[in-house]
Amino acid sequence: MSLEAEIYEAAGKEFNIGSPKQLGVVLFEDLKIDEKPKKTKSGQYSTNEETLQKYADHPIVGKLLDYRQISKLKSTYVDSLPDLVNKRDDRIHTTYMQAVAATGRLSSQNPNLQNIPIRTERGRAVRKAFIPTDGDHIILAADYSQIELRIMAELSGDKGMLDAFEAGEDIHAATAARVFGVKPEDVSREMRSKAKVVNFGIIYGISAFGLSQRIGVPRHEAAELIENYFEQYPDVKAYMDKSIDGAREKGYVDTVMQRRRYLPDINSKNGTVRGFAERNAINAPIQGSAADMIKMAMIQIGKAMDDAGLKSKMILQVHDELVFDAVKEELEPLKEMVEKLMRNAMPSLNVPIKVDMDTGENWLEAH
Amino acid sequence: MSNAEKNLYLLDAYALIYRAYYAFIRTPRVNSKGLNTSAMFGFTNALTDVINNRKPTHIAVAFDVSGPTFRNDSFPEYKANREETPDDIKISIPYVKKIIQAFNIPILEKEGYEADDIIGTIAKKAAAEGFNVFMVTPDKDFGQLVTDKVKMLKPSRQGNGSEVWGPEEVCERFKIKRPDQVIDMLGMWGDAVDNIPGILGVGEKTAQKLLAEYDNLENLLEHAEELKGKMKEKVIANADQARLSKKLATIACDAPVEFNEKSLELEDIDEEKIRTIFAELEFRTLSERILGEKMRASSGNAQMDLFSGGGDDGPTPAEDGAERMERFDPETTEYKLIDTKDKRATFLKELAKQKKVCFDTETTSVDANAAQLVGMAFSWKAGEGYYIPIPGNEKAAQFILNEFKPFFENEEVLKIGHNLKYDITVLHWAGMPVAGPHFDTMLAHYLIQPDMRHGMDELAETYLGYRPISIESLIGKKGKGQKSMRDIAVEEVAPYACEDADITFRLFELFEDQINKESWLKGLFYDIEMPLMPVLAVGESRG
Repeated sequence: MSLEAEIYEAAGKEFNIGSPKQLGVVLFEDLKIDEKPKKTKSGQYSTNEETLQKYADHPIVGKLLDYRQISKLKSTYVDSLPDLVNKRDDRIHTTYMQAVAATGRLSSQNPNLQNIPIRTERGRAVRKAFIPTDGDHIILAADYSQIELRIMAELSGDKGMLDAFEAGEDIHAATAARVFGVKPEDVSREMRSKAKVVNFGIIYGISAFGLSQRIGVPRHEAAELIENYFEQYPDVKAYMDKSIDGAREKGYVDTVMQRRRYLPDINSKNGTVRGFAERNAINAPIQGSAADMIKMAMIQIGKAMDDAGLKSKMILQVHDELVFDAVKEELEPLKEMVEKLMRNAMPSLNVPIKVDMDTGENWLEAH
Repeated sequence: MSNAEKNLYLLDAYALIYRAYYAFIRTPRVNSKGLNTSAMFGFTNALTDVINNRKPTHIAVAFDVSGPTFRNDSFPEYKANREETPDDIKISIPYVKKIIQAFNIPILEKEGYEADDIIGTIAKKAAAEGFNVFMVTPDKDFGQLVTDKVKMLKPSRQGNGSEVWGPEEVCERFKIKRPDQVIDMLGMWGDAVDNIPGILGVGEKTAQKLLAEYDNLENLLEHAEELKGKMKEKVIANADQARLSKKLATIACDAPVEFNEKSLELEDIDEEKIRTIFAELEFRTLSERILGEKMRASSGNAQMDLFSGGGDDGPTPAEDGAERMERFDPETTEYKLIDTKDKRATFLKELAKQKKVCFDTETTSVDANAAQLVGMAFSWKAGEGYYIPIPGNEKAAQFILNEFKPFFENEEVLKIGHNLKYDITVLHWAGMPVAGPHFDTMLAHYLIQPDMRHGMDELAETYLGYRPISIESLIGKKGKGQKSMRDIAVEEVAPYACEDADITFRLFELFEDQINKESWLKGLFYDIEMPLMPVLAVGESRG
């Protein structure tokens, strides 16, 4: 039975699943899955993902979420990718936009590579569509590991964090051991996954409230976690404060390569507006430096590949990853070249940079 | 007119001007001559908002006259603590008056009286003749005049719509029973802005409480003995001062101004005057909105408010641009169509002498990997442009393109473009590699002002005060009916293409300077963004 038919059966009738209005009536009037449903500004029942997630245990809602995910992927990739195939060479040519993201990162369109979901099985399947030229080629993917955290360690000079990277520790586990005050061997999976959220949250200036939402703990607990984090990594806290103060004074923040981001709202009297600028003051140097780094790596790799006369091609850049259509015979020298140039793209850093590489018959396998 | 509703709007000029000026204080609007136009801009917006959305039948603007007023006679210190009016506001006043005159709206002022008194007087007289009066002001003190026929219109402010205050709203705002109690409120709690002392130690809350019990100031002072403790002392000690304060806070409704119904009727605007003043202030958008026509290109408009991100030493290319560059004037440009072999030969000789050349491709698609070359435009001097059509026939196209090979492969020539990656990719598919060095004005601006938009049209407007010919005026709006550049007569494409190359060249001159001045920009531009661009172009065309 198709997912659609299952949804109709659970609803007891056929309706337009794509219509939030009809869906709201089915869920909250026919099935009454909640006595006090949330409504949107326009008075309709809210059926956005966040709302539906709350009822994910309810069989029809689980199916709806699946349905939505599939139709999203279908419309953005399955339906549109064939249209994007170029008639001249039967290939898909993404267009990089070098002047869109104010942070300095690249973005791409037709298709937007950064948007291909990684977390879900089905999203990952989209990556399967990216394959090497022919049997003599293989996909090589090279990915900067934990680059934003490493850059935060670099920018803040925090000894604890630098040491953890130096020792090649699992940074999330190391952070978990520190903030929960347990021995490294006693870090549970749950602790590690919470620490991971904190690690990434800090980079984006997360609040205690935001963190409590994300990891599902009471707010005071989240606040305590953040407090512990700053106690354990005091220079990270100092870096954040310095970054915000600097932005207040100069009107901008900058990256390792001095790429600027102007933050006029940093002195706003409006707390929300100011808060946004403050988070940018922390985040822009980190994201921007990561962008600087991968851009420098691409330039050097492009040149080195030309100089060496390699026939392999660098075909994609997405997030912190470079993807190559590698000639199988060139694979080993190419890997060595890519790893070295990515790792050393930005000279004289204190923090060690790590590059993960993998190969496969498609982008998913290589990832 | 006699039967229809008569609606009179009285604008409080200074209050609106101050507000407009401070609304833009962090990102002032400045024209190319360095004049701060925030006040004129904000005031004009407020004025047109009233005219368009409130449909007045009658309208006037009241100004204060500088110098002492009758209030100073009884209290010399009145408004004595006022900070000096900011110079930018003082300079703005004559401009605002010119704008009002261009709108054919009467200005009301009277020596010895404030705008409040003029508005109060006219409002009262007009209401008596059956008008609905709206006092347009953000100043809450006007609440005292509010009746069913005389209301306040508080102009909109940052996203909140404008508010009309009738008696109910005023009473609610001040938590009083009648609007005229506003004066008693002000008499007790004083008004620091106007240096009205009030009763020392009495604030808004206390004043409300006292009024709820005693109804008015005079009654309170009469019954001061009933009060207790400190409050009693305060009120008794400050009784005279409170009476004076109330007097000062009272808006006079008997100022010697006449209400001449006929002269306040809303008239049509004087388009010529509007055009002149807006051109001087460089209000392009307002001009378009009000006159329904584009401003002549020669009246450049560098909207430096866009450069709010500047920080202390942030680059403000518009300033440099305004000073150093001639504004873009299409009357003085020289664009040439190079459509014969002979013309090309002469052109190519000239081209070969140049070291810094801007070029721009015209094509059939926004997708560089699918686009066909229709023509190329070149410029190496501001105001000049050359357009070379490329025929659809592949052989003929290749023949012409090959003549440009020495140019495109010459590593001594700086090739300038806006979003060069696009042109390089188009030429790649046409079999023509474009050797460096490259200079991309889009990427240059991306580094200079990362949060702004970097489209050529926007940059032309911002830095050159000119709105280029739009592509849609040539090939039509996006969608099914849109034509291909191939189908447009070369005579029409040529000026459009030349203009783009010309504009890009002018932007290049601005940005190159800017980048070379700052070592951080230099490093990022020449060592990262420019070398990266061809790497991305190659990656894209490979797919």
